[in-house]
Amino acid sequence: MKLPRVLFVTGKGGTGKSTVAAALALALSRRRPTTLADLDRRLSAAALLGAVPHNSNVIKVTGSLDVIALTPRTELEAFIERIVPIRAISRRMLRSRTFGYVTAALPGLEAFLLLERLRILAGEAALEDRYLVIDAPASGSAVELLSVSSGVKGIAPAGTLNRLADSIDGFLSDPTRFGAVITMTPEDLAVREALETAGTIRDRLGIATVAAIMNCVPDSLFDTSELAAMSPLGGHAHLAIRRNAAHEQAALVAPRFIDAGLSTFSLPMMFTPAIGPHELEKLGRVLKAELLDR
Amino acid sequence: MSRKHSAKAAPFDLRAQKLVICLGPGGVGKTTISAALAVHAAVIGCAVDVMTVDPAPRLLDALGLAPDSSEPVGVEFEFALDGIEAPRRTDATRARLRALRLDPKRTFDSIVARYAKSDSARDTILENRIYRNLSGALAGVADYMAMEKLLELAANPDTDLIVLDTPPATEAIDFLDAPRRLLELLNSRAINLLTAPNGIFKSQLRMVDVAARAVLTAFDRVTGLKLLRDVQAFVRSFDGMYEGFSTRAARARDKLRASDTAIVIVTTAESSRIAQAREFIDALESAGLRVSAMVVNRVLADLPDAAELASAHIAPSLRKKLKRNLADYAALKTREEVSLSALRDSLPAGAVMMVAHDLGREPRTIADLAEIGRSLRAS
Repeated sequence: MKLPRVLFVTGKGGTGKSTVAAALALALSRRRPTTLADLDRRLSAAALLGAVPHNSNVIKVTGSLDVIALTPRTELEAFIERIVPIRAISRRMLRSRTFGYVTAALPGLEAFLLLERLRILAGEAALEDRYLVIDAPASGSAVELLSVSSGVKGIAPAGTLNRLADSIDGFLSDPTRFGAVITMTPEDLAVREALETAGTIRDRLGIATVAAIMNCVPDSLFDTSELAAMSPLGGHAHLAIRRNAAHEQAALVAPRFIDAGLSTFSLPMMFTPAIGPHELEKLGRVLKAELLDR
Repeated sequence: MSRKHSAKAAPFDLRAQKLVICLGPGGVGKTTISAALAVHAAVIGCAVDVMTVDPAPRLLDALGLAPDSSEPVGVEFEFALDGIEAPRRTDATRARLRALRLDPKRTFDSIVARYAKSDSARDTILENRIYRNLSGALAGVADYMAMEKLLELAANPDTDLIVLDTPPATEAIDFLDAPRRLLELLNSRAINLLTAPNGIFKSQLRMVDVAARAVLTAFDRVTGLKLLRDVQAFVRSFDGMYEGFSTRAARARDKLRASDTAIVIVTTAESSRIAQAREFIDALESAGLRVSAMVVNRVLADLPDAAELASAHIAPSLRKKLKRNLADYAALKTREEVSLSALRDSLPAGAVMMVAHDLGREPRTIADLAEIGRSLRAS
């Protein structure tokens, strides 16, 4: 599969979005230089890769993988510093409470600046032939973020901002440059949210979805006759049924994604006491096989 | 900050509360826990209202809510469930449950309508671009509107308890701080400054204000948005409504700090959510707000005994698989325990930690919610 330059990883909270983003960045970096842009305030994807970035500085994880933290706030600060070049004043202004309300009255400005930053990073990535993996916000906020440029075009029908919004739109809707990866788990709510998000992203925003990834899928250990034989075992039977049910649920929903024109695959449940480098490697191997080697 | 393991704290008693506010990160089942607490309170004899923010369709069904039920709707269910303690009041018929779904935009519109001086003043606000963006998009407005609706519900003397679900927040304080922030927006020096015509009062302005204005002006010039004009029109249109907003914000603030208000933080046992929950606790503590309980949702139930497998009459191959299955879930349980003990260590003094076990399915009925509510116990 030819992957877009930028992979925007989102999903319902609790579906392992940051884990998938980290594993994906790690896997891609074996093929080509890769940057993980962490948009999550807690930087959990970066932490999984062993990096603690701050202030949009690039941190090198390996020779071919680096991590950058992006926040709407730092983008706003950079924007303000361009407009008010006297640093002492711009700093004080950014700290002042009243200024907070002014920015609150400019809806979407921070998000818009963040998208513009992603567009610039993608352009740089294209020049260096590197991948950009984004650990994006959870799906609700991610859709809001991606909608901002069309919102800006609505309120600014002409002028520089409109042109800027146009170029962001062009970037987001170009499937060679930008694609969404949506994570879910074998649970009704997560599946429904993934379908909704994919629908909104494609139909309303015109953005390509690379894959909907079913995370945390246990292998089915037991066949039907075994499940019947263990019924007197109470708690053990319950646990076995739970495992098989999650596996079946994952298999059941796959056709719904295929029907919706979305490619989908599963990542195994990591039955381990912690998610560490070893688990990321394992997940990365599946991601590489499903996304790169097909 | 002194913190200690509060295993000895009294169990969290819903009957002693008038208001329970559930806060927490997105995706932890906050709405489910809010509904479960409300159902449980009704079962033990309280007259309860539960306000949800973004319920899943199944939960709407369970509560009998239409997607646009922005006024309380009575929820029919069998109150006589097993294991119920004595009702709060001698009048057992008092117990009831009503549910509603918050519609921030509609609530904001109705407040504007209530406080606007005239119909034309109202329409000016409702059509203002800044207002439309504020009321539709800004998360803080949903927060503020939840507070507004809460005050409205709290005014009903026939209600014993209100359970409030809140919008998912990255920071706990966002929600609790919403009334103050909106007020300050309407009354801030920056806004006064922005509404002053060019050239006037310049001498009174601080450098910072001049810079803030410069940014907006520059932004307007670059973008052609005329935002400055819109902000001015927006603030001017609220002229005279400030009193009403201010009174209600003060009442909301008092309500949050009342002794019969309980703040409950909902989380799951995943380490990233726990880290977020701990940030919530810190933020609330530094704002002088007391956390009454932490609810950890979807915790794995206790694992079965491995010894049962040794003595069971099953095929050796099945025994082997069951052993592996048990070991797999034990590993997950270990992962969970690490997070839970980290959370236990950061519990504020006086707060209880409760766990809700994973039902193994999505809650679909009132009975499911009652089961979760009843099973909540100190951990």
